[in-house]
Amino acid sequence: MNRLGYGPTPGQVEAVVQEGVMRWVDRQLAVRDLRDPALEAWERPYEVLRTPMSAMVAMHTDQLAKALKAQAQGADSGTLRTLQVQKRQADGGGKRDLRELLGELQSVTLARAVVSDRQLAEVLADFWLNHFNVYIAKGFDRAYFADYLERTIRGHALGRFEELLVATATSPAMLFYLDNVQSVADNSAVATMATRAARQPQRPGQMPRRATGRPGTRPQAMDPARAEQLKARMPRGLNENYARELLELHTLGVDGGYTQQDVINVARILTGWTIDRRGDHRFQFLAQAHDRGEKVVLGRTFPAGHGEDEGRALLAMLATHPATMHHLSAKLCARFVADVPPDGCIDDAVRAWRQSDGDIRTVMRAIVHSPDFWALTNVQSKTKTPLEFVASAVRAVGGAPDATPRLASQLQRLGQPLFNMVTPNGYPEASADWVNSGALLARMNAAVALASNRLPGVTVQLDQLVPVTADHEALLNAVNRAILGGAMSERTRIAIRRELADITDPRAARAMAVGLALGGPEFQRQ
Amino acid sequence: MTISRRAFMKAGGLALVSLGADPLFVDRAAYALRQQLGGVPSGKTLVCLFQRGAVDGLSMIVPAGDPWYWRERERIALPKSELVTLDGMFALHPRLAPLKPLWDQGSMAIVHAVGSPSTTRSHFDAQDYMESGTPDRKSTTSGWANRYCEHAREHAETPFRAVAFGPQLPRMLAGSAPALAIDDLRAFGVRTARSEGNERLTRAFESLYDGAATGLVASSSAEGFEAIKMLKSANPTALPPANGAVYGRGKLATALQQVAQLIRADLGMQIAFVDVGGWDTHVNQGSGQGQLATRLDEFGGALAAFTTDLGDRMRDVVVLTMSEFGRTVKENGTGGTDHGHGTAMMVIGGGVRGKQVLGRWPGLAPEARHEGRDLAVTTDFRALFSEVLTGHLGTTDLASVFPDFTPGARLGLFG
Repeated sequence: MNRLGYGPTPGQVEAVVQEGVMRWVDRQLAVRDLRDPALEAWERPYEVLRTPMSAMVAMHTDQLAKALKAQAQGADSGTLRTLQVQKRQADGGGKRDLRELLGELQSVTLARAVVSDRQLAEVLADFWLNHFNVYIAKGFDRAYFADYLERTIRGHALGRFEELLVATATSPAMLFYLDNVQSVADNSAVATMATRAARQPQRPGQMPRRATGRPGTRPQAMDPARAEQLKARMPRGLNENYARELLELHTLGVDGGYTQQDVINVARILTGWTIDRRGDHRFQFLAQAHDRGEKVVLGRTFPAGHGEDEGRALLAMLATHPATMHHLSAKLCARFVADVPPDGCIDDAVRAWRQSDGDIRTVMRAIVHSPDFWALTNVQSKTKTPLEFVASAVRAVGGAPDATPRLASQLQRLGQPLFNMVTPNGYPEASADWVNSGALLARMNAAVALASNRLPGVTVQLDQLVPVTADHEALLNAVNRAILGGAMSERTRIAIRRELADITDPRAARAMAVGLALGGPEFQRQ
Repeated sequence: MTISRRAFMKAGGLALVSLGADPLFVDRAAYALRQQLGGVPSGKTLVCLFQRGAVDGLSMIVPAGDPWYWRERERIALPKSELVTLDGMFALHPRLAPLKPLWDQGSMAIVHAVGSPSTTRSHFDAQDYMESGTPDRKSTTSGWANRYCEHAREHAETPFRAVAFGPQLPRMLAGSAPALAIDDLRAFGVRTARSEGNERLTRAFESLYDGAATGLVASSSAEGFEAIKMLKSANPTALPPANGAVYGRGKLATALQQVAQLIRADLGMQIAFVDVGGWDTHVNQGSGQGQLATRLDEFGGALAAFTTDLGDRMRDVVVLTMSEFGRTVKENGTGGTDHGHGTAMMVIGGGVRGKQVLGRWPGLAPEARHEGRDLAVTTDFRALFSEVLTGHLGTTDLASVFPDFTPGARLGLFG
C-alpha cells in the first residue's frame, strides 16, 4: 500500500489482509478511470475544477493588461497588488483570482492523494505529471495548467503511452512551457514577416495582429516603445527547446542514440505546432510557420510537405521506439520497485510494453507481478518523497484535508511544492535526493504538528484511532498498530517509551507517541 | 558581537555534558580540541553559486571587443552606452555594475570561455557532470565538493563544514562526507508550538533516530541534531549585517546573508553552496532590460551586499560562480538563446589576483565556434575548480577530487 498508493488508512491493512493482498492489487490495477464517485463529493468545493480554460485565460489576460497599464503609468509592484485587491473587493469577493484557483488546484491534488480509493491510479497520475513536467508559474501556463492536469494527464494516465504523448505534445501547457509555440521555420512566411517588421520603422497598423499575442489589441492604441518591444519578440526562427526535451526526457532518454542534428530536425518537423492565441488557446497547426523541407530523424526520412502529419508520425515513431520502452520501463521500475531497479523487472515491463503496444496498465501489471517487486531486498528500500510522506501521514491518522491550500503548502516546506518544478525533468525520485538533515527535521516538525492536530489545512480524529490512555504500553501498541502497521522495531519502542516516562497528561503522551512514530525513521520508508 | 571559534568550542564542550551527546559529536569535539592545542585549522570558506539553467555568459561578461558579438545578436546585444567596461575587450552587463568596485580593487577575476569538455547540451547531464566533476561519466555517485571533504579531514569536526542553502542537498555535495542542507537558518531545528518543549522534543527524536535509523537517514539525522546544538550555542542569525550592507529581497539575498552569518559565527564552514535558478532564456531574453537583466540585477546586488557585509573577512572567502554551459552565440528565432557550450565564471575574494579576465579567448567568429554555433571552451571547468581548491583551500590531493584529470598550466588566480 505504501508502494502502489499513498499508504494505508486506519484499519485498511486489516481489511486488505482479509480481502487478500493480490485481490486488492488486482483491483487497483483494474481501475480505468480517475473519476470516482466517492471522490466527487470531496471535489465539490473546488471551484477550479469547474472553471473552463477559456475563463482562466481571460483572467490571466486581464491581469496582464492591468499590470501593463499600471506599469505604463509608472506604478510600482505594491500599487499593483493594491489594485488587484481593490478589484477583487469590487467584484464582491465572489470571483476568485487566478492565484487562488491555482492554490485550489494544489489543494485538490493533495486531497485526492489522501482520500481516493483509486490509489495506484493517483500515483500514476502523479508519475506522469512529473514525467511530463510543466512549470505552473511560467506566463500563460498559469491559465493552461488546470486543463493540463485534468484533461491531458489525468485523462490519459491509464491509457496508451502514445496517446498520452500526443496529448502532451498538443497541450497548450507543454507547447507554451517548452517554447514550441514560438518556434517557426527559418525561412517561413511568419519568420520573414517578423524580420521585415523589425527592420522597418514603426507605422501604425502595420504590425501583424498575431504578434501581439493578445486578441483585440489594436496596434494604433499602443505606445511606440511597447510596439517596438513586441516587434522584437516576434518569432523569427527555430527554437529547439521542446524538441530536445521530447527526445531526452519524454521518450528516448538521454542515451537514446540521437544527435544534435536529430534535435534540429525534430524541431523543424514540429514548427507550426502552436496555440491559437486569437481563438480558444487550443492546439493549432500553423502551416505558414511550418518547415516545408525534407527531414531525417534517427535515420528515418520524413518526406517534404506533409505538414502536421509529419509531427504525428514522429510522435508515433518515438512512442514505440525500443529506447523509449526501455527508458520509461526503467523509470516506472525506479518509482515502484527500487531506486536502482533490477534488470529483471525492467525486462518484464519492456516485454509487456511491446506486447500491449504501450498500454500503461499492462506494463504496470507486469511490474507488480515481477518477482523483483516482491523481493525482500526491494520492499521498503525506498524513502518517501515529501508528497508521499505528507499524504501517507495524513492517511495514517485518518485526517481530512480542507479546501484551502494550507496543507499543500507543507510540501513547499519539505522541498516539493506541487507543480513548481521549474525544469522539465520533474522532481527526482531517489532517496538520496530527499534525505538530508534539514528535510528530515522538517518532516519531524510536520509530524508533531499533525499528531497534535495543529497542522494547518487538515483535521485529525485521533480518538477513534489511538485512544487516550494512561497505560503507556497500551498506547504504544495502539500507535504501532495504527501508524506503523505493526512494524515498530524494538528500538523505536524503547525510545518512545522512555520519552513517555515523565509525561503525566495522557493527551500530551498520545501526541508525543504519534508524533514520534510519524516523524521517526520507520515511517520515512516507502 | 562575534562568537569566536574558541568560545564556541567551550560552549560545545559544555553542551556535551548537558545534552548527552552522540558518539559522532564526541569524536568531533575531541578532534576540535586537539586542533585547538595543535593550532587552529584555516578559517577559509569557498562559496559556490550555481547559476542553474545555463546563464548566457556572453551577456553577463560581454566580449564588447569582438565584432561577431554585435553581428549575431541583433535583438539582445547590450547597448554600447550601457556597458560597464572592464578592459579593452570585456565589459560587465550594466546590472552587474555593483560588482565593478570589486574589480577595481583587484578582488574579482573572471574566467571566460570556461566549461565542460563534454559536448552535451542537456541541462541535466551538464549539471550532473559539473557537480560530479567527471564529465561524460554518469556512474560517479559523489560530488566533487564532497570528495574534497572526504579527503581533506582538517575540518571534519563541524557539521557546518559543507552547507547547501535550500531544501535539498545538491549533487555537488552528495557523497559519504557529511553535508547539511539548510532551507532557512532561522527555522532550522525541531519546533513545537510552545518553544519550551523544543529541547525535549529534539532529544526524543534524537534518541529515536539513534536507535532505529539506518543508512543515509541515520547519518543525515545525526548531522541535523548536532547542527541544532551548535546553532543554539552560536546563534548566528542574531548577527546583523555589518559595514552598512543592505541585502535586497529575494531568495539569493537571504541565502547569502545567512552564508555571511555562518562565516562570521566561526562555525567552521568551509564550503557553502547556493542555487540560483532562472537562467534558461530561450525566449525574450532581453538586453539592458528584460528577464536576464532582472536576474543579473538580483545576482549583482546580493553579491555586492555579501562582500560589503563580510568586509575584512573577505580575505578568507572566495566566491565562485558556475553554470552548466553557455548559450548559442547567435540569438535564436524568438529573441532568446539556445543551449550552447562555453560560458563565463567569476571568482571573487580578498586573496584573488583580480582585475583580470583569464583563460584564452577563442573569439566568436563562426570558424572559431564549437560546432559552428557556441563559444568554444578553452578552459576545462575542472582546471578552474582545481585552482580554487589548491589556491584557496590548500588542497594537495586533487587526484581524488577530480579523477582522470591533470590540470595544465595555471590560470594564475592566486598568489
